[in-house]
Amino acid sequence: MKIKNIGIIIRREYLNRVKKKSFLITTFLVPLLLALCYIVPVLLILNSKDKMKFVAVVDQSGIVYPTLESNETVFFADCSDRNVDSIKVQLEQMGYDAVLYISPLDTAAKTLSSEITSQKPLGLDLSEKIGRYINDAVESYRIASYKIDGLNEILEDVKADIKLRTFTIDEDGKESVSESGVYVAISLILGFLVYIFIALFGGTVMSAVIEEKASRVIEVLVSSVKATELMFGKIIGVALVATTQFILWVVLTIAIIAGAGSVLGQKVISGISPEAGNIVGSMGSGSSAMTSVVGASGEMGEFAVVLSTLQNLPIAKILVAFLVFFILGYMLYASMFAAIGSAVETQEDTSQLQLPVTIPLMIGYFLSIYSFNAPDSGITFWASMVPFTSPIVMLARLPFGVQTWEIVLSAAILLATVILFAWLSAKIYKVGILMFGKKSTWKDLWKWLRQD
Amino acid sequence: MALIECKEVCKNFGEKVALDKVSLEMKEGTIFGLLGPNGAGKTTLIRIINRITIPNSGEIIFNGHPMSQSDVEKIGYMPEERGLYRKMEVGEQAMYLAQLKGMSSRDAQAELKKWFVRFGIQGWWKKKVEELSKGMAQKVQFITTVVHRPSLLILDEPFSGFDPVNADIIRKEILRLKDEGATIILSTHNMESVEELCDEIALINKAKLVVTGGVSDIRRQYGNNSVELTYSDADGRHTEILSKDGESAPNDVLKSFIDRGATINSYRELMPRMNDIFIKLVKGNE
Repeated sequence: MKIKNIGIIIRREYLNRVKKKSFLITTFLVPLLLALCYIVPVLLILNSKDKMKFVAVVDQSGIVYPTLESNETVFFADCSDRNVDSIKVQLEQMGYDAVLYISPLDTAAKTLSSEITSQKPLGLDLSEKIGRYINDAVESYRIASYKIDGLNEILEDVKADIKLRTFTIDEDGKESVSESGVYVAISLILGFLVYIFIALFGGTVMSAVIEEKASRVIEVLVSSVKATELMFGKIIGVALVATTQFILWVVLTIAIIAGAGSVLGQKVISGISPEAGNIVGSMGSGSSAMTSVVGASGEMGEFAVVLSTLQNLPIAKILVAFLVFFILGYMLYASMFAAIGSAVETQEDTSQLQLPVTIPLMIGYFLSIYSFNAPDSGITFWASMVPFTSPIVMLARLPFGVQTWEIVLSAAILLATVILFAWLSAKIYKVGILMFGKKSTWKDLWKWLRQD
Repeated sequence: MALIECKEVCKNFGEKVALDKVSLEMKEGTIFGLLGPNGAGKTTLIRIINRITIPNSGEIIFNGHPMSQSDVEKIGYMPEERGLYRKMEVGEQAMYLAQLKGMSSRDAQAELKKWFVRFGIQGWWKKKVEELSKGMAQKVQFITTVVHRPSLLILDEPFSGFDPVNADIIRKEILRLKDEGATIILSTHNMESVEELCDEIALINKAKLVVTGGVSDIRRQYGNNSVELTYSDADGRHTEILSKDGESAPNDVLKSFIDRGATINSYRELMPRMNDIFIKLVKGNE
């Protein structure tokens, strides 16, 4: 093979694709969507916190109002001396968002009824919270009715509030705070990314091969360069497009979030700033400090654990493995897609031929989804070794910690398979691209394979 | 000297034999007609010379040495099924194909500009191929075939798709390239252009070489030795077909007419049309 020719082919494949409108659109739209997925929930939380709700309480039982706690999101006003219906009709004029009615206590059944009325629907959060206050009040009332001495103290004494903190220990015996939800998320994201990239850009290679065959430019091309040079030039060119797109997605997503952050205020980006991560990380190492943070504010505590978990992931290992497995997995599937593209003249004819190629890819993806349930189970282990599923499943296993020898072994098996299949595909491709007029089947491909 | 020498070239696809011990010589600086009915094996032979297909046995000698991959840079090939990337700009595409033939980007640019001017299509450089008509695309295709100054040009049905005016432009370009020293293989079913352009031909039928040699030699060989004589006498103008058997020399024949008081208008050897030879050979083969 002539490197110079492959270089010229790569250049054309790359520039032609990168200059396309569809490339530019997806390159800019996807980060925008990703950034929105991040920014919108933050904005919603910020906005809902800003607006305080005023609730008028008509408590005819006399036991509920004292338990209602006003805070920065909701203020409860005692209107027990007023008529509910009169408040209902002039809710807005009085400046209330809702009116809460508590019926007189039914002392026999030790129960009461309650209802809340508002003009705009109340948030789920607020109605749940109020419901909890009412139930607490009734429970306290019922407990008190047993008239057991010192019961409150006893109850206070038996109350337990224990949080299960999970740690992982690495090969060096270093412990780190971990949150399995984060691992699952990362695992799903990695598996999905590599699946989508292989399917998307493998398909691109196939269409490119079909395009050359359908437009008949192929015969001119192979009179100048070898068919194998053409095939590998195309596969590498498209791989570079994929890499470019991926890098642009990452950079643009961060840029958009940062840009939105500077406009909307620091709060939006505080979640991703490295300082926050460092602070939380250092808190994680001092265990008592950690507990106090968790105790002080539940939400912030969870967030801290997520950040700490992220920080303790072997990021460099994951990135390197992602690149290696993506490139090898893509090479494996792209060369098979190229062989299939060479056998047909239109995109429509591919469906039957490409099934044996897309099915293992999909199996790999499905196995990757389930791998978080049992990242070290037999089936997951073997799926991460078998070359057709390994690029996806191995990446999905990575966040849960995989021995380095397993990664190296899997990559080596994959590499050997890539070389074998690239060679086989090139043989089919060479013959296929010059076959016109007849719909090819797998039998034909097998025949071409054995031709010299 | 032969630029291309095919030595007992054999090619089969599975059971099907596409070429059976075909041996040919194509002399440098000539136009060589490659003839044969559809499916005879012409395209396979062309692809073997282009190194698109590898023969099962036999070899191709190019310019005195066994042909190698680097020799394809000296070949320009216009296949019968024309093709360019539809979504690519004309200039960009021509540059790409020229670079694949080993030209530097600067050379390619300079040469292409010259050709675009020669064909009067400077304005098409930035156009996409899909915006061109079939004839326009053919012109671009011709340019991409010859831009790298190939010493061997392989043209498969070069005139199909051209209107008479443009076909004539291409014909002149082919002759001009021949004068500049290029060797040209012309594969066509148009026997008139074979008679007009080709120095030598080879006829392939059913994977086998049927005949090869100079066009005039072959026409003479397959002629029925007849001459056409036109003369005028008192009754007016006459045309007679005379068989030219070895016995009476032209001088004697003419003398007998002159002695009868006729005026000779023309006397010429009747050559069979290539078309008839083609049909005769292909049918006789069946």
